[in-house]
Amino acid sequence: MATFDSESAAHIHRELHSHLPSESALRVKALESLVVERGMVAPETLDAWIEAYSEEIGPKRGALVVARSWIDPEFRQRLLADATATITELGYQGSATGHLKAVENTPEIHNLVVCTLCSCYPFSILGMSPIWYKSAAYRSRAVREPRAVLSEFGVTLGPDVAVRVWDSTAELRYLVIPQRPAGTDGWEEEQLAALVTRNAMIGTDRDLMVAAV
Amino acid sequence: MDAIHDLGGKQGFGPIDTAEPDEPFHHGWEARMWAIARTSHAPDWTIDWWRHSRERIMPEDYLTRPYFDQWAQNYLACFINSGIFTLDDVVAGTANDSKSPAVVFSLEQVLAASRDQCRNFSVSIPDEPRFTPGDTIVTRRDITAAHTRLPQYARGRGGTIRAHHGAHVFADASAAGVEEGQHIYSVTFLAVDLWPEASDRRDEVILDLWESYLEPA
Repeated sequence: MATFDSESAAHIHRELHSHLPSESALRVKALESLVVERGMVAPETLDAWIEAYSEEIGPKRGALVVARSWIDPEFRQRLLADATATITELGYQGSATGHLKAVENTPEIHNLVVCTLCSCYPFSILGMSPIWYKSAAYRSRAVREPRAVLSEFGVTLGPDVAVRVWDSTAELRYLVIPQRPAGTDGWEEEQLAALVTRNAMIGTDRDLMVAAV
Repeated sequence: MDAIHDLGGKQGFGPIDTAEPDEPFHHGWEARMWAIARTSHAPDWTIDWWRHSRERIMPEDYLTRPYFDQWAQNYLACFINSGIFTLDDVVAGTANDSKSPAVVFSLEQVLAASRDQCRNFSVSIPDEPRFTPGDTIVTRRDITAAHTRLPQYARGRGGTIRAHHGAHVFADASAAGVEEGQHIYSVTFLAVDLWPEASDRRDEVILDLWESYLEPA
């Protein structure tokens, strides 16, 4: 039974600090050996989860949702009203998307998502989070100097654009809906989805590039 | 608690490594760790206890060891705390008590399990919400040494209720093993009310905060 005792957790971490090998791969190997030995999971099942998050569950899901929101106003309304229900229609619900909220960029507003306290991220719709999203540099600075952070990602906001930073402090998770780029009238959903970058759905990208296709 | 994890607004970090390759995993062990996290827990853990345990990683390790390396350490710590494994088992890499091997899941079964991991944290409670959108609030100035999701940079600050989301499992209690619901709100803070150097009055920072963090302004 978990003790739920903070000092016990701190004590165990100090012991692990002294006793675990320094190499990350060896630490994870020790953990895998123990959970497999106890019958919690089979190694082949771990392989299947890795395949799922490498091939099936990734930012292409979010990109499809964004593209559909550009061409289907009724879908967009539902997405903005209840993103969890709307992605569930596509079978995209899963880890950390039980309370998903879509927030839309406009010519006057730029949205940026961060988790300053840990690293919360809507995994089932965006896949694995980038290392920078979990870094102390991003977590500390995104709430305080978002424009400087954006400029490191090559995004310069015009003087008439306000920044709205969403700090994921509870179980709500955020998906930024970037603006549809000009020059894409009549494009199919798949073509549009190919324009949508993962960073645009976090908010560290803004003007999607048509020329990139 | 005011530990190293509470990074919002801390100065001196950066720049950000924006040139990272796009692949989902950068090392094999990261992928193994993520897959273990999707499948292997003790039944008595809560997500908030797990988060709090991670906050108790030594500060120097928290700032320097790779992210999924810290996950491995925290899974081991939580298993030890729950009495599932001992420190000796962890050091040896075996508990010498093999159980029946687990059933193997196919990719299709894993994708179904992934959909099932969509968790709703809503709780039905009898209390009426204390605030409605548009209300002005001030956040609590002080916290305890226990787990909380009210970051340091947003304590003792004035904000405006943006949305009410009903009641959710209260993280501070859940980290202590107690499941109780509490009303939760998205609260808008003006950047100029948080940061001395902020100058654009349109810039906002929005946090999701439980009712007990808030008082009427």
